[in-house]
Amino acid sequence: MIGKIVTTSVAVLMGVTVLSAGSFNAQAEKDRQALVKYMEKKFADPEKSRAQFFPYATDEDVKTNLKKGVKFEDFRMGSYAFDKIGRGQYEEINEMPPYEDNIDAGEELYNNTKGIKKCFPDPAIAGEYPKFDDKKGKVVTLSLAINDCLKAAGQKPWKLTKGKMADLEAYFAAKSKEAGKKVDIKIQSKAAAAAYERGKKYYYSQRGYLKLSCATCHVQGSGNRVRKEVLSPLLGHTTHFPVYRLKWQGLGTLERRIKGCEKNQGENPHKPGSPWMSEMLYFMAYMSNGLPVDGPDIRR
Amino acid sequence: MKMYKRIGMILGLGAALSISAMAEEVTPMVEEAAKLDVKKVCDVKANGPEKVLAIAEKYNPEAVKLGVEFKRLGITNRVYIKELKSAIAKKQKKVTLHYKSKGKKKTKTFPTDYAAWRACTFAVRSLQQVKEAQKTYRMAIPGDGYKF
Repeated sequence: MIGKIVTTSVAVLMGVTVLSAGSFNAQAEKDRQALVKYMEKKFADPEKSRAQFFPYATDEDVKTNLKKGVKFEDFRMGSYAFDKIGRGQYEEINEMPPYEDNIDAGEELYNNTKGIKKCFPDPAIAGEYPKFDDKKGKVVTLSLAINDCLKAAGQKPWKLTKGKMADLEAYFAAKSKEAGKKVDIKIQSKAAAAAYERGKKYYYSQRGYLKLSCATCHVQGSGNRVRKEVLSPLLGHTTHFPVYRLKWQGLGTLERRIKGCEKNQGENPHKPGSPWMSEMLYFMAYMSNGLPVDGPDIRR
Repeated sequence: MKMYKRIGMILGLGAALSISAMAEEVTPMVEEAAKLDVKKVCDVKANGPEKVLAIAEKYNPEAVKLGVEFKRLGITNRVYIKELKSAIAKKQKKVTLHYKSKGKKKTKTFPTDYAAWRACTFAVRSLQQVKEAQKTYRMAIPGDGYKF
C-alpha cells in the first residue's frame, strides 16, 4: 500500500514538474498573442476605428498617412510599418545607410577583441537576447553578455549605450538579419517567468511627473502623434536595434533609447544594465518573438 | 489519502509563495505616503516652507531607493531638496539649483516657496504612483484589463 502511494506521489510530482516546465512562458505567450491581435486590429483600418484607437488624429493622418491592413511581420519596422510619410523619408535615408561604418567597426571588434569570438562563435545571435541566466538568477542582455565576456578575458567593460558596444551589436544584428534569424526569447524557469512579469509590470506602470507608462505611448498611443512624431508600437520595438538616430547623430543601443524614454516620462532614468532595465527589455523582446531581426537601422 | 492531501498542501503553499514573491515595491513608507493629501501637506502657505521641505526630505529617499524619483528638465528631486535646505535656512526668497545636464553644468533659479511645493509633491506623488500602479497597470494590458 505504502509502495503504491509513494509511486503515485512521485508520478504526480513528476507530472506537475513537466507540466510547469513547459508552461513557464504560458502567460507571456498569452500576452504576446493578445498584443499582436490588438495591433493588427488597430491598424486594420485606422479611419474606420478612429474613435476607438485614434481619437486625436487629424483627418490627414487617418485618411492618408496611416497604412491599412498592417500585419504581424510588418511590425518589425516599428512605426514605419504604418507611417507612410515617415517610411518615405526612412527609405530615402536608407539608400546610403549611415550605420554601415559602424557594422564594419563592429566586425573588426569581433575579430580583434580578445575573448569575443570565443564567447560568441556565431555572431548571428541578436534575436536570442536578453536571456535569463538561471545560475546567476538574473536577466542578461546582449550588452551585459558582451561585458561579461570582456571581463572574463581580462578586458575593461564597455559603455552600455554607445561606442564600441553599439558597433559590435550592429555587427551581430547585421549577421542575424543576413542569416534570416527571428527574435526568439525563451522563458524556461519559474525565476525567468517572474523576471518577465516584473518587466511587464514596469512597462505598464505609470511613472514620473507626467504619470506616463511606456504603454501610454507605445501600446494605446502607438500610431498617434506626440508633436510631429508618430509613436512606434511595442510590437517590433526590439527588432531593429542598435539604431542610428538622427537626433544622436550616431548609433545607440536599446539601453540608450530606454534611458531617453524614461527622461521624457519625467523620472530619473534607471541605469543601463540594472535589473530593472534588463527585466523590462526581457519583457519587450519577448513581445517581438517571431519577428525577423531587422537591425541595425535608422530612426529620427 | 492523507499523502495526497499533504502533496496538495505543499503544491498550494508553493503556488502561494511564488505569487507573493511577485508582489513587490509596496513598502511601509509607500503605504504611508499613499494616505497623504498632497494638496494639504505640500501647501507652503498653510504649513510654511520648512514643514513642506521636511515632507520632501522624508519621502524622497524612498523614491530614490525604489527607482521612481521624479526628474524634470534635467533636475532630479534630490537636487531641489539639497539646494532648498540652505535657501530656507538662510531665509532666501529664491533658490538657485545647480545641476548637470548632458555633462554640462547648469543653473536655474526658482522662488523658494514654489521649489518647496515642487519638491514635496514630487516626493509624495512618486510613492503614491507606486501604490496606484499595483491596481492600474493591468488595466493597460491588452488581453488582460484592457479590452479592445
